[in-house]
Amino acid sequence: MSDTGTKRNINIFRPLPGTMRDEVQVIALLLIACLLAVVGTQVAIWILEESLDGFWLTELIFFNLPIHFWISGQFLPLLFIVLGLVFNLWMDRHELRRMEGTIRFRAQGRKKGEVP
Amino acid sequence: MAATGVQFIPLLMVLGMFLLFIISGLGSKMRQASDYGFSGSYSGRVGSGAAIASNWMSAASILGLAGLFYLKGYYAMAFVIGWTGGYVLLLVLMATQIRRFGKFTAPDFVGFRYESTIARTVVALISIVISVIYCVAQFRGIALLVSWLFGLKYKEAVLTGAALLVIFVVISGTLGVIRNQRLQYFVLIIAFVLPLMYINRKLGYFWVLPQFGYGEAITTLQEQFGFFWSEPFASISLFQWLALCFTLMFGTAGLPHVLSRFYLAPSMRDARWGVVWGLFFISLIYWSAPAYGVLARLFDARAGNTFKLPDPATADLVTLTAVTQAGLPVWVTGLLVAGGMAAAFYAAAGLLQSGAAAFAYDIYPRFISPGASDSDKVNVAKGVFLVLACIVMVFSLNQVGLIAEIAAVAFALAGNTIFPAFLLGIWWSRTNEAGVLAGMLTGVLITVSSLLLGDLVPLVKVIFPLTSSAFIGAPVVMLVMIAVSLATRPPSDEMVAFLIRDVHDTGGK
Repeated sequence: MSDTGTKRNINIFRPLPGTMRDEVQVIALLLIACLLAVVGTQVAIWILEESLDGFWLTELIFFNLPIHFWISGQFLPLLFIVLGLVFNLWMDRHELRRMEGTIRFRAQGRKKGEVP
Repeated sequence: MAATGVQFIPLLMVLGMFLLFIISGLGSKMRQASDYGFSGSYSGRVGSGAAIASNWMSAASILGLAGLFYLKGYYAMAFVIGWTGGYVLLLVLMATQIRRFGKFTAPDFVGFRYESTIARTVVALISIVISVIYCVAQFRGIALLVSWLFGLKYKEAVLTGAALLVIFVVISGTLGVIRNQRLQYFVLIIAFVLPLMYINRKLGYFWVLPQFGYGEAITTLQEQFGFFWSEPFASISLFQWLALCFTLMFGTAGLPHVLSRFYLAPSMRDARWGVVWGLFFISLIYWSAPAYGVLARLFDARAGNTFKLPDPATADLVTLTAVTQAGLPVWVTGLLVAGGMAAAFYAAAGLLQSGAAAFAYDIYPRFISPGASDSDKVNVAKGVFLVLACIVMVFSLNQVGLIAEIAAVAFALAGNTIFPAFLLGIWWSRTNEAGVLAGMLTGVLITVSSLLLGDLVPLVKVIFPLTSSAFIGAPVVMLVMIAVSLATRPPSDEMVAFLIRDVHDTGGK
């Protein structure tokens, strides 16, 4: 089970050292961004509704749309796509680095003149 | 919308679209994906994204969402954010890991991960219930469109639509038609967005990107008719809105037919990139859907009904109402109806088939006929398909709610049961059979709690509303899973080793 004799487990709050820890950190950052974006924007819209009888919700126009329609209907789905893009680009680089590390490790472990 | 006889040109367009899908499905037996306009490794991801989006398209997306905007305004934005945000959860928490598990269905996954036949059976049963509820929403969409196409009353249209669906599945099955999801997506998006561009152009709005152009309709409604959209949380509290939004997110990440897509991806990288492309393609629909609701409101106002309370029974047909009220050519209406029919038909057929397969492969051979052969299972699946279609048809005869709201109940059940089972199954190796069983049963109780206890204990309706119970429910289920797992025997060392070695990126250590 473990080289060190201590029992290892998968736990998102205690990721195993190395590549998994990096991955979990990125996942946590993206989920926090997602959560803040969804809850934060809705709280902001609620505050705008409550103040001045919703005056700003009719006056603030973005890309032809009232601000709350633009934020929830256009911006948030776009933000989700961008977050997905960032995650995938990071994962691609992360996997490439890991693969290079594995190849280097194998190359170093080979004796001089040994054919792979 | 009153039915006025058979609509011949739209009917021909519906038949033409189904013929196109059947012929392309027959052709795809011999063709490669690259023959449909994509090539190389890049095509795999775009094509996979289109397939994810096509798999997702249903009456709820094409008809239900616009109806909800028309009826309840900003409230419907919870669906847009919930349904798209769920794909972020799927991407970062599940897509790669599910692909690494290599299991083909949700019951397969749960049965293997928790080393439990009982857990597998419970997930199969939950999958069948989810399929039935989601399918009721699709049947409502089919019935409304059939009612408009043939000039039938609602109940007659339900029966006709069900018969047409069964005939369609039998013909497709007999001919061996393979579903060409990529082609379907691109046809559906054209059928949905083209009429919107046409309406915007006719009204003199910015038609190139009607997803933004419809904003002028909002301004017109305010300035000319005194109709304001400035009270987003007037009909629903901020808590209720967030509860619905997060329930739909968790449900999206827990729907069995959505999760199944990742087993089919050629590689982990394709699985990840497919989700992002899929999210983009799905967003194209959701960026457009509010426009139909707003434009229908504008046409109401122009007809002198600015503050008319919309009829919930007809709100689901508002995309069609907007197109007909705009006076567009009949072929444009036909295109939209054909797109709506195709989305609802394929979604309903897929859901019924997956429900039937869950019974035939996960329940029948284990509890009814242990020695069943493969051909027996296929025959049982066909029979169960018909039984499920009849059950759905009976439930659909009464108009129990809006398409999107009925679908939301299925999302709540998935979010309270399958989502926590997958999430903890992947990310906490200590979760075991007892934990997942206790959790899923708690999830089922939470989902139906407002129906069972809502009148006795009003607080239950506030915390666990029928369509929005997973916001509080999913975390409660996870806590139950954790507590029960810690109190009982841990999973086998082999399973923990499998999670460390094969499912997670632990650098091979």
